Amino acid sequence: MIRYSSLLLALFLATAGISQAQEADWDDDWGDDDWGTEPEGWAWYGFIESAAAVRTRSDPVLNEDFTLAETRVQLEASRTLDRGKITLKGDVWLDGVEDGAKSDLREANFYTPIGDSVDLQIGRQILTWGTGDLVFLNDLFPKDFVSFFSGRDDEYLKAPADAAKLSWYGSIAVDVVWLPIATPDRYLTGERLSYYSPRAEARVAAPPRLDPIDRDDFPSDGEVAIRLSKTIDGIELAGYGFTGFNKQPTGYDEQAQRATFPRLNVLGASVRGTALGGIVNVETAIHETEPEDQWRFLAGYEHSPIGDLTLGWQYYLESEDDEDRHLLTNRITWQLLQQDLTASLFTFYSASDEGWYLLPRLTYRFSDQLTGSVGGNLFGGDEISGFYSQLENNSNAFLRIRYQF
Amino acid sequence: MTHRLLLSVIAGIGLMTSSIAMAQLTDANEIVERANNASYYAGEDGRSAARMLIVDGDNQQQRQFMLLRKDVEDGGDQRYLVVFSRPADIRGTVFRVEKKVGQADDRWLYLPALDLVRRISSGDKRTSFVGSHFFYEDISGRDLAEDTHELIETNADYYVIESTPRDPGSVEFAAFQTWIDRDTMLPMRTEYRRDNGEIYRRMEVTEVEVIDGYPTGTEVRMSDLDSGGYTITQFAFSEYDIGLPDNIFSERSLRNPPREWLRRD
Repeated sequence: MIRYSSLLLALFLATAGISQAQEADWDDDWGDDDWGTEPEGWAWYGFIESAAAVRTRSDPVLNEDFTLAETRVQLEASRTLDRGKITLKGDVWLDGVEDGAKSDLREANFYTPIGDSVDLQIGRQILTWGTGDLVFLNDLFPKDFVSFFSGRDDEYLKAPADAAKLSWYGSIAVDVVWLPIATPDRYLTGERLSYYSPRAEARVAAPPRLDPIDRDDFPSDGEVAIRLSKTIDGIELAGYGFTGFNKQPTGYDEQAQRATFPRLNVLGASVRGTALGGIVNVETAIHETEPEDQWRFLAGYEHSPIGDLTLGWQYYLESEDDEDRHLLTNRITWQLLQQDLTASLFTFYSASDEGWYLLPRLTYRFSDQLTGSVGGNLFGGDEISGFYSQLENNSNAFLRIRYQF
Repeated sequence: MTHRLLLSVIAGIGLMTSSIAMAQLTDANEIVERANNASYYAGEDGRSAARMLIVDGDNQQQRQFMLLRKDVEDGGDQRYLVVFSRPADIRGTVFRVEKKVGQADDRWLYLPALDLVRRISSGDKRTSFVGSHFFYEDISGRDLAEDTHELIETNADYYVIESTPRDPGSVEFAAFQTWIDRDTMLPMRTEYRRDNGEIYRRMEVTEVEVIDGYPTGTEVRMSDLDSGGYTITQFAFSEYDIGLPDNIFSERSLRNPPREWLRRD
């Protein structure tokens, strides 16, 4: 029921938005209220979005044609204080795939500067660092691959974390992030998307839901991430450290017969700057974890050969004792119609695991309020178990309409 | 006789004063240099609120942002911080530029929903600035060395400069003409032409105010004469020489814009 009402609402919003965009007789004033004044008290923002993503092939282990069918409202409230800021941001949605009303508190944090050169942000927040484009070496903050693969907006790739982030801006910048309780990725559990289980040697889905043993002891299951960074003449240098737990349940407890999050320690570095007429980035990281240590390496290049067309290229390596995984990515972004239309294609291709993942997308801004997107998440490859090919029955085509206020 | 002498003395003084105030310039390069300084390098630093009304047929969009600028060197490198407040989908987005004359700028873009600091390549500076009819280059200035400049007319109000690109393949225009106000040295109108002489793009300064002693274009209109679309940019709450510290032009300000310098009062 929800899935069809989501589709209907999406179509309704699209029609409403298009007719609004076509209203010619806006008066000549700017419709402005706070051009001249600082906002005081709480400022409210938000959007309503309808989204549906249809499987492009049926999934024999999941009796569900949609990977996404939902209508959500996001509300954000922020208040600027004398020294600092409070931000609250939350989503509620009717979910037609997991059936029911859902919610997600994405931000609830307090930011304050301490003295001249220290910033503290404490509470639920979105955290990102590193130089990769959809490839992560030193960013061990939680990601939501379920949202990303199933057709939600890019912003949902980043999952919130409860954390304290202390930043010191001296001759080098030092960021220290403490997560009192380990925060893993929102990994595939089999509820919305099927995946390959090495234990079952088959693609599986819920039930049973993948249910690993959580790392939830305070404070022994906490995590700490550190970054040292400095920009010299436009060249950004950074060193990273992390101690915590694997973001995916890659371990297995034979006794409990359940998956686990093994310990993970990471050391890494990155450099990014302008070169060769574009942006060049190189990043590396050593992951010390179970079942095997890993060395990760990334080299990327992005350039704009002609106006409004941007090309990004990345080579990424995950090296283990007995196996190397090579990945090539390409991103084409083309902005048209005075940047109201953005056409993009992101391609992951891995020769070593013979798999690929394509993300074609068209996004159109009907107006400052209304945006529509169509696109897909297309997985394929030769092997049943490959990194991307295991997801092939989750391939989907999506439509999203968002009205912002 | 005395009367006549007095008159000529007065006229002489008058002439001298006026020639001091607005000596007629004859060197095209000096004129464009002074015009460039007047429009992009007023004061050591500056702050302004800006809003854009983007009109394409029936479609109207708006942008609103605060702009902080600091000169590294007059007529040379500059630092910019642009903090967007409207519309909703780009609110909180922050754009930072290290403008480098004669080489590629360094540009960063902060996307708050992902807490992501992106580095962006500055390949073509003649692409739309945030979906408006202004190009990046119109906002931060076009490198004077990219064109040759010729003074083709001096009238009572304006110097008229004809500029021709040194590398015609790098730009969409064949030439452009600029009307520079002789008093303020502000470029008041610029018209871009195609090979066939057709004017297809026009910038006009429609309001000028003197702010902290610097004549400032506070309303600028950029028109696309092919499509009929145009963008009006208004600047308000502008101030110069406010003593912006260097360290606000940093990654820290992308995540947490420096509020004390962005206040509109």
